[in-house]
Amino acid sequence: MDWFDKFPHMDDESLRALKKTIDESFRAFTRSYGDSIEELFTPLKMFLTFAERLMIQTPWPIVIAVILLLTWLASRSKKVVVGALVALLAIGYFDMWEDTMRTASMIFVCTILSIAFGIPIGIWMARSDRVQRIINPILDVMQTMPSFVYLIPVVMLLGIGKVPGLIAVVIYSIPPMIRLTNLGIRLVDKDVLEAADAFGSSSFQKLRNVQLPLALPTIMTGVNQTIMMALAMVVVAAMIGVQGLGQPVLKAISNQYFTLGIFNGLAIVGLAIVFDRATQAYGKRIQKHMENQHG
Amino acid sequence: MNNKTIAMLVSIMAAGATQAQAQADCGDVTIASMNWKSAEVSAELDKYILAEGYGCDAAVVVGDTVPTIISMAEKGQPDIAPEAWVDMLPEVVKNEINKGTLVKAAPILADRGENGWWIPKYLADAHPEIKTIRDVLKHPELFPNPENPKQGAVFNGAQGWAGTVATSQLFKAYKGEEAGFKLIDTGSAAGLDGSLINAYERKAGWVGFYWAPSALLGKYQMVKLDHGAPFDKNNWDNCITVSTCPNPKPTSWAVDHVYTLVSKRFADRSDAGVMSYLNKRSWNNVTISELMAWMTDNQASGEEGARYFLKNNEALWTQWVSPEAAQKIKKSL
Repeated sequence: MDWFDKFPHMDDESLRALKKTIDESFRAFTRSYGDSIEELFTPLKMFLTFAERLMIQTPWPIVIAVILLLTWLASRSKKVVVGALVALLAIGYFDMWEDTMRTASMIFVCTILSIAFGIPIGIWMARSDRVQRIINPILDVMQTMPSFVYLIPVVMLLGIGKVPGLIAVVIYSIPPMIRLTNLGIRLVDKDVLEAADAFGSSSFQKLRNVQLPLALPTIMTGVNQTIMMALAMVVVAAMIGVQGLGQPVLKAISNQYFTLGIFNGLAIVGLAIVFDRATQAYGKRIQKHMENQHG
Repeated sequence: MNNKTIAMLVSIMAAGATQAQAQADCGDVTIASMNWKSAEVSAELDKYILAEGYGCDAAVVVGDTVPTIISMAEKGQPDIAPEAWVDMLPEVVKNEINKGTLVKAAPILADRGENGWWIPKYLADAHPEIKTIRDVLKHPELFPNPENPKQGAVFNGAQGWAGTVATSQLFKAYKGEEAGFKLIDTGSAAGLDGSLINAYERKAGWVGFYWAPSALLGKYQMVKLDHGAPFDKNNWDNCITVSTCPNPKPTSWAVDHVYTLVSKRFADRSDAGVMSYLNKRSWNNVTISELMAWMTDNQASGEEGARYFLKNNEALWTQWVSPEAAQKIKKSL
């Protein structure tokens, strides 16, 4: 009855040998290719460092002015702009400006990367059911796999710091971008596409002039979700040495500094709300704009 | 239902009942496992011995040193911290022991622990002039910060470790920043290990906080840096271990006593056999280093490590437990 009480598993020796072999070969891989892979990521590292320096070294009033201007351009709503101003001033007043700027620059780069990779993949997925069938489970894995599982190999390969942190954040936050781009394009009315066909549009013209504009509100929701997920990963990224708001949060958790935790947690929330309201308002605005056009 | 099935059901129920009885002897025990290897294997060892030898319903909870010890003092949970580096938080622990909420049991690491700043052996061999922290700080170019090669980097431990606080205070004391170094917050044990492995595998420069006995230092040969200053107890207790102290001074690292701590509540309610085990269980650094090296080589979990130890070191552990418990443990292996 032994097999009934205990699940019959692979014997310990072979299991251990399996794990060991995989690990050893990964280590050998790190040894021989670590340097060249790190080289590969150097432009990314430079871009990250540049974005961070830009945000930190620019005097704060200018940064706030630029953020408010962008918020205004996106949302055209006084309420959102005033809210953003209040949040940023509070963050600065409680001495979290530098960490917040580090986090914001990370989120900024992450969003750019997610858009740059997410939209093409989303389009590709929307055009072929087969691609969709293959990519969907991959996205599921990316969203559910505990991040430390892939972080450890990445850290062994690239060391700690911004680049592995960014990889972790992008892996977690790109799926909504891909999914919503795919969904947005698939939801475009068949009649509209038929009309476009009737006017003799090429496939690319159809994509550029019909599908993408009509899918834009959904894509904007994707951008919004990507930013939110990226912010949620800030603390995990801090666990592999990414500077920013995550580090004080970790410090607060492990030393039970209640107030420090709340302050930095709220700063993350503040940043999230500013980004969220701005992108959402933008999404709504383009939607309205389009309804008018069609109405 | 035929007779066979009934007989089987009865025997299953009976087996369940005797198991419940066995557990009632000692009750629930929670054992704190810290997130480094030697603490993990000692927690699993205690769990195995208490469960098999003394019939406890033992469970392992994972946590960092400071939160775990504070929780033990405040809430009496977890019951046992097998490997507590008590010198790393002298004030809290001393106060709690005086207050009687924590009880010191065996010094689990008989040879004590070694904390400090370490550099890889290949680097020490290539640059024999580097012996002390001050020597390292003269050469930022040998220990480049991965994010800013113009700067040197000292890798610190995870938040919540007392060694992390000491390292950042020592960094201030030795004027690391003025020397062109940056103190890198690695964020977690995995981050610290990853940065070391990443540097070591490629024979690059690395300097940072680490401790022995540990699995990583068993696998990768490292050299501990000398502090170039005698141990100054007053400075250590009141400034190096206090993160808010503004003017730390150079000092050697305190010698670390590593004890098993037991919450008063558990010490009172547990039977004499369990406490006598906890008061005797102690191993030297050779034993634990060999055990951890085996665990690393074989990717063993703490539990497998505990079993391996029990199978191979019978002469040692049978001294810790009562003869009846030893009998039961041997049978279960």
